Amino acid sequence: MQASRARLFKEYKEVQREKAVDSDIQLVCDDSNIFKWTALIKGPSETPYEGGVFQLAFSIPEQYPLLPPQVRFLTKIFHPNVHFKTGEICLDILKNAWSPAWTLQSVCRAIIALMAHPEPDSPLNCDSGNLLRSGDLRGYQSMARMYTRLAAMPKKG
Amino acid sequence: MGSDSTMNVASAPALLKDMGKKKRANRSAKLKQCKLDARREQWLSQVKSKGGKESSEGGSSPSSPLRLNSERHEPLISLEPRSRPEEAEDSSLHDSDSESLTNSPSNDCRKERHASCGSSSSGSYSGSVSEEEEDSLDDWEAIADALNSEPAARTEPPAVLPTPPKCPPKPTSMGVEGIPRPTSNCRAWRPDDAFRPQSLPNLSKQHSFPMNSERQFSSRPGNWTRIGIMSTPSSCPICYEDLDRTDTSFLPCLCGFRLCLFCHKKILEADGRCPGCRKPYGPVEGDVGVNVGAPLFRLSRSCSMSTRY
Repeated sequence: MQASRARLFKEYKEVQREKAVDSDIQLVCDDSNIFKWTALIKGPSETPYEGGVFQLAFSIPEQYPLLPPQVRFLTKIFHPNVHFKTGEICLDILKNAWSPAWTLQSVCRAIIALMAHPEPDSPLNCDSGNLLRSGDLRGYQSMARMYTRLAAMPKKG
Repeated sequence: MGSDSTMNVASAPALLKDMGKKKRANRSAKLKQCKLDARREQWLSQVKSKGGKESSEGGSSPSSPLRLNSERHEPLISLEPRSRPEEAEDSSLHDSDSESLTNSPSNDCRKERHASCGSSSSGSYSGSVSEEEEDSLDDWEAIADALNSEPAARTEPPAVLPTPPKCPPKPTSMGVEGIPRPTSNCRAWRPDDAFRPQSLPNLSKQHSFPMNSERQFSSRPGNWTRIGIMSTPSSCPICYEDLDRTDTSFLPCLCGFRLCLFCHKKILEADGRCPGCRKPYGPVEGDVGVNVGAPLFRLSRSCSMSTRY
């Protein structure tokens, strides 16, 4: 409990210090609870998510960093490894491949990498996974792009 | 000092002739070179008298050869655009004391240079001298700055070798470059020198770069593997607390990933795998307690996984 708090506090300071370095990731800690974080990540370029800003919710267990943070998408996203309704993410480093040496920042980077390289063979979103597995790259991309426009881009007044 | 000046004056026309041979086609570039060379001479004589002043004040004798040697590389520098506007205040310092010292010698020297320039570069040059003379004072600070920034430019190769299309390749300056220069490693400014530009990069800064622990432990993905290989971290990458002496001598995994004893114990109780390579901490430890406990840890890991996922 105490250790996770201390570690999170240090990560917080690190994030503050490196704010300008990585403009693709914006990590914000909840004002009242250091175990709740949100992140804004930019969709990687040359993917259907380009131009979108996706919000992630972090829920950090008390045993952190021995246990991984729980992360889910708050922004709707059409991706084989993200549950379309709940936003749950299927990513090995958030499960059995977690290492305590990872940080919230590096988790964000891993999620950005997952967006650029979906794994259709372990799908949480079957529609998306099936499109990719059947080789319909255009279908997947146009769906993903549509949802990026609908959910992850600022509305144009 | 007298011998120095004659040597420099003698060597410069040779450089120019060489230049003239190479770039007969490019008149404007040649003119520019002549102009800059003239200013170089002017500056040179000023610095020389200043250097004499310094040595007479009891400064260490190597200081003036140092300066002269750095000036040898000047043709390289003088052509590059003024890259450090922030040194303006510093150059004004230079100007204020050096101009009062040596106005007449510098003028003499400049005339001499022009004469030799005219002979080496055929004719067309002399006409434009007068108007160039007028703006020479305006550019004076820029030249001084370029010279001031020379040691800095040494450390930054891109700044030293600008390749604007206008600027002709200079075999002569390359020859100057080729001179073995022990002095280029030394600095023309001592660290405590009042004239030393603030913007000059510190050598110590460069040395400290690879050792900069802040960056090293920023715990980026992929970074932590490097930590283990490269050096002993100063803080535990898991809890971010400082490592004490026992911790730094503690190497629990063959991959070289270091962490504090406290975190290691906690990992053994929970996951049992090295955070660096994800292999289970095993008999490598040589610790009986750990060996006994190892299967248990795996069990606890699978338990925690099943409850969570």
